[in-house]
Amino acid sequence: MTPEEQTAGGAPMIQLFRVCKDFGPFRHALWEVSFTVERGEFVFLTGPSGAGKSTLLKLLFREELPTSGQIVVNGRNIGVLPDGQVPYFRRTLGVVFQDFKLIGRKTIYENLAFVQSVLGLSRAEQKRRAYQALKRVGLHHRMNSLPSELSGGEQQRTAIALAIVNEPVLLLADEPTGNLDPVLSEEIMKLFSEINIRGTTVFVATHDVDLIRRMGHRVVTLEKGKLRERDMVRETLAQEAPFLPG
Amino acid sequence: MNSRYLFGEAWAIAKSGPRHTAIAVALIALAFYVPGLFALLSRNLGRLAGSAREPAAAILTLDASADAHSVADRVAQDPRVAKVTIVGSAAALERFRRAYPDLGSAIADLGEAPFPPTIEVSLKPSAPSRAAREIAVAARSWPGVDSAESEEEFAKKFRDGVRLLRGAGLFLGGLLTVAAILSVSSAVRLALDLHRDEIAIMRRMGATETAIRAPFWLHAFFEGLAGGAVALALLYATYRGAAYLLSRDPHPVLSLFWVGFLDLPTALALPAVGAVAGFLGSLLSLSKSARA
Repeated sequence: MTPEEQTAGGAPMIQLFRVCKDFGPFRHALWEVSFTVERGEFVFLTGPSGAGKSTLLKLLFREELPTSGQIVVNGRNIGVLPDGQVPYFRRTLGVVFQDFKLIGRKTIYENLAFVQSVLGLSRAEQKRRAYQALKRVGLHHRMNSLPSELSGGEQQRTAIALAIVNEPVLLLADEPTGNLDPVLSEEIMKLFSEINIRGTTVFVATHDVDLIRRMGHRVVTLEKGKLRERDMVRETLAQEAPFLPG
Repeated sequence: MNSRYLFGEAWAIAKSGPRHTAIAVALIALAFYVPGLFALLSRNLGRLAGSAREPAAAILTLDASADAHSVADRVAQDPRVAKVTIVGSAAALERFRRAYPDLGSAIADLGEAPFPPTIEVSLKPSAPSRAAREIAVAARSWPGVDSAESEEEFAKKFRDGVRLLRGAGLFLGGLLTVAAILSVSSAVRLALDLHRDEIAIMRRMGATETAIRAPFWLHAFFEGLAGGAVALALLYATYRGAAYLLSRDPHPVLSLFWVGFLDLPTALALPAVGAVAGFLGSLLSLSKSARA
């Protein structure tokens, strides 16, 4: 299924309703956070270190569960998603983290083929998807290289290829340019824009304000676990929501 | 999840920590070699014990020219005797052949009958314990009787000894199997640590827990299978080595009973139990560590 087909539904891609996340009784990572990301949007999540950006992404990826509130991603209330359904939910997403993980002993192509073989795809399909993903990030000519033979920027592009190889409807990225210089950072962001143009919703957490300004996409800002006042006004309509099944 | 992924990853896990894989296989092999050795000993000794399943209380060895029936009639007159059995030379040879098929053919090549005729005396349950000895002592002076021995006590001790050996083998086997399971468990835990990044990637990409764990299960299964097979090979080498040494330098007792390797089901049980132990070890490890 292509992203265009997967995004055929009209509901927003991400909906957060008064989401709170506590780590212990005195540490509120997120407090009453509500906002919506429409399908096909490119949205930046920003805020200072410790604002709760990574926690929010982990919630969207169902790596953590909210303490209260509801999170609906691609029409599924992931707070009530049974554990056994989580892997299938994750197959509709792509994730890029700052600490991009690649398997050092496998070539770039093998890295991409490996994750697909886990999902049970045929070898022909693995090859087709891996080649397409690498072509989209401009690394198809280096598919037989080991990660250690690539530069930092190339490794991050490979991580992005890994994230998009399953043709996700939503791409989540947590500080994807954190370790890169400004030129490479912009290159990576352009790549995200290209992915977004093809129909994938992109949600990027970053504290690089200059980069956000240059890209000119919608911004959601977190401060000490709360949505910033200005963003809250925009998100008022998303405050109340009916309960949705997983 | 396809078989190529499953076997490919299981092999990759083995290759990623070859030293630990080798140590785990060696530990499993040792864990199964020791009880296997007990099984081998008790099997061979058990054949001796088995041949005396209904032990005679006393055995009278006759001269070749003796009238076996008249000696038998004389013994049977004793009110403490329940049964008297005449075992001729041919019957004794046949018994030996059944118990020791490897040696029976060699004995058949001899020109004369290797076993003298004997009379086996069984006592009534009400007979006192000293009766066997008294009958044997009395029979020694009868014409045609070469020697007479009371056997019951020895046979009982022998069977008890074999039983003890089997029990010790089972106990040690159980203990060492637990040790094997724990060693596989720690080897799998180490492999999990070495493959942490891959597991993280797999989880992010939506791999199910079964897909993540299955290569580790398979790896441990084969580790156990290999350990069991190595134990079997070592046991066979031990058996052949001992057989070779005994053929070069025969021992009056050892040469008699060291004649057979483990039967097929017991031999196959070693790698099979090894594989199960490996699998259990991986289950133990994965239930604790896979989500870490």
